[in-house]
Amino acid sequence: MIPRKLGYALSGFAWPVYALLYTPLALVAYYSLAPAPNMAGHSFHAYHVLLHDGAAFAALRLSLILALCSATSATALGTLLGYGLCRFRSRNARGVLAQLPSLIIYTPIIMPSLVFGISELIFFNFVHSVTGFLAAGLQTMLIAHITFEIPYVALTVFGRLSGLDQNLFEASHDLYADGLKSFLYLVIPVVQPAIIGGFLLGITLSIDDFTISFFTAGPGSVTLPIYIYSAIARKGISPEINALGTLMIGTIIVIALLHFFISRQRERTRQGVFPPPQQTKGAV
Amino acid sequence: MEQMNRDMHEPPLSGAGTLGAISLRGVTRVFAGAVTAVNQIDLDINPGEFFTLLGPSGCGKTTLLRMIAGFETPDAGRILISGREMQDVPAHRRAVNTVFQSYALFPHLNVEQNIGFGLRMRGVKAPERKKRVDAMMELMQIGPFATRSATQLSGGQRQRVALARALVNEPEVVLLDEPLSALDAKLRTELQIELLRMQKRLGMTFIFVTHDQHEALVMSDRIAVMSKGKIQQVGPVLDVYEKPRNAFVAEFLGLSNIFALTPSTAHKVQTVLGELDVAEPLQGASLAMIRPEKIWFYPATTARERPNMFPGVVRESIYMGAATQYRIELANAQFITGVETNNKAAERSWCPGEAVLIELKPENIMLIEP
Amino acid sequence: MSPARTQAEVEGRRQRARLWTTSGPGLVWIMLFLLIPSAGLLAIAFFSADDYGNPVLPLSTQPFQQVAGFSLLGWDAGNIAIFLRSLQQAGIATLAAIVIAYPLVFFILSRPPAVRPLLLLFVILPSWTNQVVRTYAWLELLGPNAPLSWLAHSLHLLPPELGLAPGSLAVTSGLAYNYLPYMIVPLYASAEKLDWALVEAGRDLYAAGIKLFWHTVFPQTLPGLLSGVIFVAIPAFGDYVVPALLGGDKAMMIGSLISAQFIETPDWPYGAALTLIMLAFTGLGLVAFRIFSRKLGGTGETAI
Repeated sequence: MIPRKLGYALSGFAWPVYALLYTPLALVAYYSLAPAPNMAGHSFHAYHVLLHDGAAFAALRLSLILALCSATSATALGTLLGYGLCRFRSRNARGVLAQLPSLIIYTPIIMPSLVFGISELIFFNFVHSVTGFLAAGLQTMLIAHITFEIPYVALTVFGRLSGLDQNLFEASHDLYADGLKSFLYLVIPVVQPAIIGGFLLGITLSIDDFTISFFTAGPGSVTLPIYIYSAIARKGISPEINALGTLMIGTIIVIALLHFFISRQRERTRQGVFPPPQQTKGAV
Repeated sequence: MEQMNRDMHEPPLSGAGTLGAISLRGVTRVFAGAVTAVNQIDLDINPGEFFTLLGPSGCGKTTLLRMIAGFETPDAGRILISGREMQDVPAHRRAVNTVFQSYALFPHLNVEQNIGFGLRMRGVKAPERKKRVDAMMELMQIGPFATRSATQLSGGQRQRVALARALVNEPEVVLLDEPLSALDAKLRTELQIELLRMQKRLGMTFIFVTHDQHEALVMSDRIAVMSKGKIQQVGPVLDVYEKPRNAFVAEFLGLSNIFALTPSTAHKVQTVLGELDVAEPLQGASLAMIRPEKIWFYPATTARERPNMFPGVVRESIYMGAATQYRIELANAQFITGVETNNKAAERSWCPGEAVLIELKPENIMLIEP
Repeated sequence: MSPARTQAEVEGRRQRARLWTTSGPGLVWIMLFLLIPSAGLLAIAFFSADDYGNPVLPLSTQPFQQVAGFSLLGWDAGNIAIFLRSLQQAGIATLAAIVIAYPLVFFILSRPPAVRPLLLLFVILPSWTNQVVRTYAWLELLGPNAPLSWLAHSLHLLPPELGLAPGSLAVTSGLAYNYLPYMIVPLYASAEKLDWALVEAGRDLYAAGIKLFWHTVFPQTLPGLLSGVIFVAIPAFGDYVVPALLGGDKAMMIGSLISAQFIETPDWPYGAALTLIMLAFTGLGLVAFRIFSRKLGGTGETAI
C-alpha cells in the first residue's frame, strides 16, 4: 500500500505533530508545578492553594451537575431521535419535509457556537421578560447544553442502528415482541455501546464548551471554564489556573483512555475468547 | 362493484379451523407508486405440508410471505391461519415464525438466548424455557455452540440456529424466506435434506420461498409458481413439472421446447416442425411443449414407422455427467433440445454433425397456454 | 377494489406517527431551543436600537449601515477589515489543517490496524479538553516569556518586549489546533475506504509522486476533505474564544466584534446584523463550496 520510504517520511512528519499537539497541554502541567512564593524548584503549592479555593470547587460542582444532567437528558432524547430516524423514516420520501429532520439535526453541529449562544441569550431573555420563567442560570445552561448534545447522541445511535440487519426488528416482532418490548429487549441492548459512547461524548462536549455556557449563564452560575476564563481576563495566568487546567486535561485523558480500552476489551471478549468458528459439515 | 364480483368467484373455504392450515382469499398488495406486488391471490395450504412459493425475483413471493408473517398488511383480501382471520393481526400476535434469508440472529445474544427469545417474550418461565431450548438445541445438534455469540458461527450453524429459534415456539406455520441462498452448494444440499427431515418429523406446515427451481423440486410437497404478482399454477411437484399450465411455468421449472400450434384435426396440430399427433384434446391451448428428456433418439437409418418422428442433425453436445444435452437442427432451420441420461441402456452418444432420428411421443406433448 | 386509501398510504401514515413519537421530542427540542431563537436573533437585525441597545420598533436598516461602517462619525473601514481578517484567519487555519491532516491520516493508515484507533484517539484527545484551557495553553507556548518567543527575539524576528502571542500568528495557530480533529476525522474516514487497486493502477499509468497522489488518492479522499473543510472553516470563521484569548486588540475577529454588541456596549440590532452578515458569508461559502465540490465530483453530503 504505502511505500516504505514514504512511510518513513510520514513517520518523520507525524511524530513531531503529535508532540506539538501535546506540548501546550504539557506546558500547562509544567507551569502548574511553579514553586511556592519565596521558594525554589518545583512544588505542588498551586494544588494546595486550589484545594482551599471555594469558588473553584463551586464551579467544578456546577460543571459536573451541568455535564451529567445535560448528557443524561440528551442521551434519552437523542437515542429516541436516532432510533426513530433509522426505523421510521420512509426511505423513498422526497422533498423538503423528508429533509427536515436532517436539517434540524445538523443545525446545532454546523452553527457557530457564538451565534448559538447569543441566540439563546436573547431567546431566554425574551421568554423571561414575558413569562417570568427561564431566568438565566443553571436551567438555561442546561437547556442549551442539551440542545447541542442531542445531535451527537442521535448520530452515534443512528450510525450503530443503520449498520444492523434491518430484518432484526422484524425478527423480534416475529418472535412475539411488540413495539415496546422490541425497543427494550432488542434496540436498547444492541445500541448500548452507542448510547454509552453518546453519553460520554455529551459529557465531554458539555465540559469542553465555553462560549455557549458563557452567553447562557446567569450572574450566580459560574462553571469551571467560565471561572478559568474570567480569572485569566482579570489577572492573567496563575499557577493555580494551570493546576486547574492540568486536572481537567488529566481527567479527560484518563476517562477517554479508560473508555477506549474498556470498550476494546469488550470487543475482544466477544470475538476472541472462543475458538474461531469452524466450517460445519452437515451434522456435527 | 368489483369487490362483489370477486366475492362471488372466491373458492369456498375448505378445511377451515384446522391447525396449521393457511387460506388466502383475494389477497392484494399495492406498493407506493401503484406497483401491484401481489394481485388477488387465492391459495390453500394444507396442514403439515411442505409448500413452496417459486418464482423469479420481484414476482411477489416474498411480499406474500411477509403478509402471512404479519410484516405487511394486504390492501384487500383475507388471510386465514388455522381458520382464523389474521390479515389485521400484528406479527407479534401470530402463531407463525419466520426464518429470514439473512437469518437475522440477534447480535447481542448468544445462541441459547437467541433461541429462547420468542419464549421469553411470551413470558415462558426460565426453567421451562431452558428445558425447551435445550431440547431444541439437541434436536438441531447445536448444543456445543450454546454460549457462542451469533457472530461467531459459520453460515450453516447460523442457519440451524435461525431454524431452531423459529421451531422452539412450536408455531402452527413456519415461514422460510430463501434460507439456504447464502450457503455454498454442498452445504445447501445437505441442509435441504435436513430441513425436509425436520419438517416431516415435527409435522408443522412449512412455507418455503425460493427462486431456485431445483430446490423447489427437491423439497416440496406442493409448489405454487408465481409471476408478476399472480400464481401461475399450484399443485403437487410432479403435476406442475409434467403438466405445466402455461409457457412461463414450463420455462421456469426445468427445460422445455415450446412451439406455436394451429389445430388441424382432432388429436392433430400443425406446428413449425410439421403435423404432430397429440394425446390430449385441444382446449384453447396455443402452444405445444415437450421436455428435453422426453425426446427419443434413434440412428438416422431407423425406419419412420410411428408418427412424430423427424430427421435431424446434432449441432451441439454438452456432457453434463449424469446426462448429455443435445441441440438438434431439424428441417426448416428449427432447433430442438434433447437430453439423454448416460445410463447403461444408452451406451451410445451422438456427435455433432451426426444425423439422427428423433421421436416426440404424443403422450409426452403437452398443450399449454402462452 | 378501491378502498378509500391504499395499505401503503395507511402504513406510511402509521410510520410517520411512529417517527414523530420517537424522533419528535428531540426534533421539537432543537427547533424550540435553537431554530426559533436563531430566527429571533436574525429578526432583531431589522429593528432600531433604543438607548440601552435593546431592539425597538420601527424597523430600520440602521444596523446594516453600521455593519458597513457608517456611523455618526462618518464611514470607517474597521468592520470591513475585521471581516477580511476573519476570512483570512479561517482560510489559513483551514489550509494548515489540510496540510497537517493529509500526512497524519496516511501515517495512521501506514500503521497496523490494531493501533490505528489509538493513534486516531490521540489526535482527537486534545480537542476534548476544555476550549478555554487548550486555547490559553498556547499563550504558554507563544507568550512573551515562552521559549518560542525567546527564539524569535534572539533571531531578531520580534521586538524583545513582545511575545508571539497575542497576535495574528497565535490566532491562526490556535484555530488550526482547535479544529484539526474536525479535518482529521472525516478525512480518515474516507481514506480508510481508499481503493488501493486504483493507486496501483495509477502507478502504472502516472508514474509516481505528486501526480500519482493527485490522480488516484486525492479524488477518492475528496468527500472527506470537503466535509473537513466545512467543519473547520465555518466554526473557525466565527470563533470567539481563540481571538479573545490569543488575538489581543490588533487581531480582532468578527466573533469578538459581535459578542461586544451583546456584552460590553450593548447594541443588539447591530450585533444581530453582524451575525446575519456572518451567517450570510458562511451560507454563501457553503453554496459556492457545494457547486465547487459537485464540479470536482465529490458529494459533500453527510451521513443521515
